[in-house]
Amino acid sequence: MSEQSVSTELMSENEVRQRRLDVKSLDNPKAMKLYRRFDGIFILVLFSFLALGVQIQFTLTAGDWDYWIDWRDRRWWPVVAPMTLLMFIGPLAYGLWYRLRLPVVATAVTTLLCLTSWLSRYLNFYEFTYFPMSFVPASTYIGLGILLDCSLIMTRSLIISCIIGGGLFGALVWPLNWPIFAASKVPVEFNGMLLSMADLMGFQYIRTTTPEYLRIIEESTLRTFGGSVTPLTAVFAGLVGIVVYALFLLLGKWINGLDKYAKRIA
Amino acid sequence: MKVVFSARSATVNLVLVLLLSLFAGDVVAHGERAQLASMRMRTVHWFDLNVAPLKVKVGDIVTVTGKFYTSELWPNQLPSPEDTVYLNIGVPGPTFIKLDASVNEVPMVRSTAFELGKVYEYRIIMRARIPGRYHVHSLLNVKDAGSLVGKGTWVEVEDHSGGPVPFVNEATTLTGETVNLETYGLGDVFVWHVVWIVLGIAYIVYWLARRELFIPRFIRVREMGQDKADEILTKRDFVVSSVFFTLTLAVILGGYLWGENKYPITIPLQTGKVDVVGLTPPTGELDIEVESARYELAGRSLMINAVLTNRSDQAYSIGEFLTANIRFLNSAISGPTTYPEEEMVAFDGLTVTGDSVIPPGASRPVKMVASDALWEQYRMTGLINDPDSRFAGLLFYFDEDGKRYYQEIGGPILPTFF
Ligand SMILES: [Cu+2]
Repeated sequence: MSEQSVSTELMSENEVRQRRLDVKSLDNPKAMKLYRRFDGIFILVLFSFLALGVQIQFTLTAGDWDYWIDWRDRRWWPVVAPMTLLMFIGPLAYGLWYRLRLPVVATAVTTLLCLTSWLSRYLNFYEFTYFPMSFVPASTYIGLGILLDCSLIMTRSLIISCIIGGGLFGALVWPLNWPIFAASKVPVEFNGMLLSMADLMGFQYIRTTTPEYLRIIEESTLRTFGGSVTPLTAVFAGLVGIVVYALFLLLGKWINGLDKYAKRIA
Repeated sequence: MKVVFSARSATVNLVLVLLLSLFAGDVVAHGERAQLASMRMRTVHWFDLNVAPLKVKVGDIVTVTGKFYTSELWPNQLPSPEDTVYLNIGVPGPTFIKLDASVNEVPMVRSTAFELGKVYEYRIIMRARIPGRYHVHSLLNVKDAGSLVGKGTWVEVEDHSGGPVPFVNEATTLTGETVNLETYGLGDVFVWHVVWIVLGIAYIVYWLARRELFIPRFIRVREMGQDKADEILTKRDFVVSSVFFTLTLAVILGGYLWGENKYPITIPLQTGKVDVVGLTPPTGELDIEVESARYELAGRSLMINAVLTNRSDQAYSIGEFLTANIRFLNSAISGPTTYPEEEMVAFDGLTVTGDSVIPPGASRPVKMVASDALWEQYRMTGLINDPDSRFAGLLFYFDEDGKRYYQEIGGPILPTFF
């Protein structure tokens, strides 16, 4: 917080004058018109960047976990998916809060991811490789994004929102998505074996390079806790969410500090 | 059908497939020639492949049967099927659905493990789903080793004469409901996605549709300094956010309860391995000692010198040598049979010098030459480039009644320069 006053002291006269002019320009309708035009372009650029960025990040990290309905187990997917999203959201959320006080990154990223995921499922999986949409539906994380953003504006503190929002972001993945894939977890008998509908579809719809054994289903020592897998995973994912989000907010802080050096060089 | 690369991202695969199909013909794209020659010779010997029928309509059944032998000379540098394997079909995506699969009559819903040096008989029942002409391969996904592909057979899938009929894939749940898996649960999926997308967009619009956005806000926050910057947030912002926060929690809870109510009985994803016992190949008490093996670098042949000792009470004649999915048949013997449209068969590919019949009790040196243009076509001549120059294959022989026996032969192999 004191950083700002220190840097103001260090500013040259020229810079101080420039800033005063900037503030004045806000009362100038012509300047405002220009700003609004720029805002329009910036929204397009920012959203394209977010959509592309989160799609690449998510494909590389969560990948198969989020493509196939028979990969979304109770243990790994609810931890991996929010973690990888928070890694992307953290630095951007810090920047937009610090510079603009705009708490929209998490909602924007999760909404855009949902839209691009549907586009990719439709084109890559349904049209190009013939998978039925019922086998590759997108997950949703939008609710988590809204909770994270709102907790920031409600508390006006990155730290508290990290604990509340980051925690909820991890913990609520499963209940949020439950209405979307509860159907795939209905039991079915196949060859005398008990399968979920998702397992049956995984067997039937041929994936040449994604054999069954690549799935990581419930592999963990937490198994000893018996029936309470889902709530336990939620607590664990919540903690992971807090830690990961905190780390990546710090990364954002570090990136934001870089402009000091940029000024010094100039 | 792609072979070596893992399926991390469909986009990457898509690009690779496009590149492959640009630069290569049918055969390479399916992986028949992609792997090292020595690897194809010493991993899985596929035989007796039968795909039937070869011409079907959408919704019809196609059955793939065959056998494979897991090589005892499995390359050390390649992870073995003794750990984890999955029996699969190599077709471009779910153009067929697998209805059933079994190995040695054990259902193969999941992954399994195979002992080396054993015979496994498999059967896969499929239903044609998408019209087209497909090169259907049997394949094994071996954990950490990638896909090992058997040879392919072309199957043609046609639409119904009256025009396309929607493909239906019915299943009955344990709760007694019969559903179509092609569209199962999709209606609800769309509804819930729409709910969330609308909420997300509403929230974004609230924040972005305002008179002062990026630049003005940036100027103001900079002017206020971090200590006072929060003043840019209005009471309305706070109220709207609280409403969104509460609403979101309520919808999450509501959705969860809706799911629990609609599907009260659910189970976790099922996993675990299936056990299957391998069969011992019918060797018929014939001992085969490979003395030496050579292949001509310039030509198209593999020459094996072996001593065959017949400890049984019947005479054997050598009928076929199989390696890397290529069948070299001895045309002097009537034993070996082929399936309709079978590929990779050299009908006159095996010459046995000396007496090709081994009488009971006899021990004879035999020189076998497996020779055909297929060597070149399937890039087996690249053996010289392999890090481990050994070969292996199955030798088939027949008794007087035409009964078939076989065993694996193999050993070091040397090139001959002419
Ligand atoms: Cu092929």
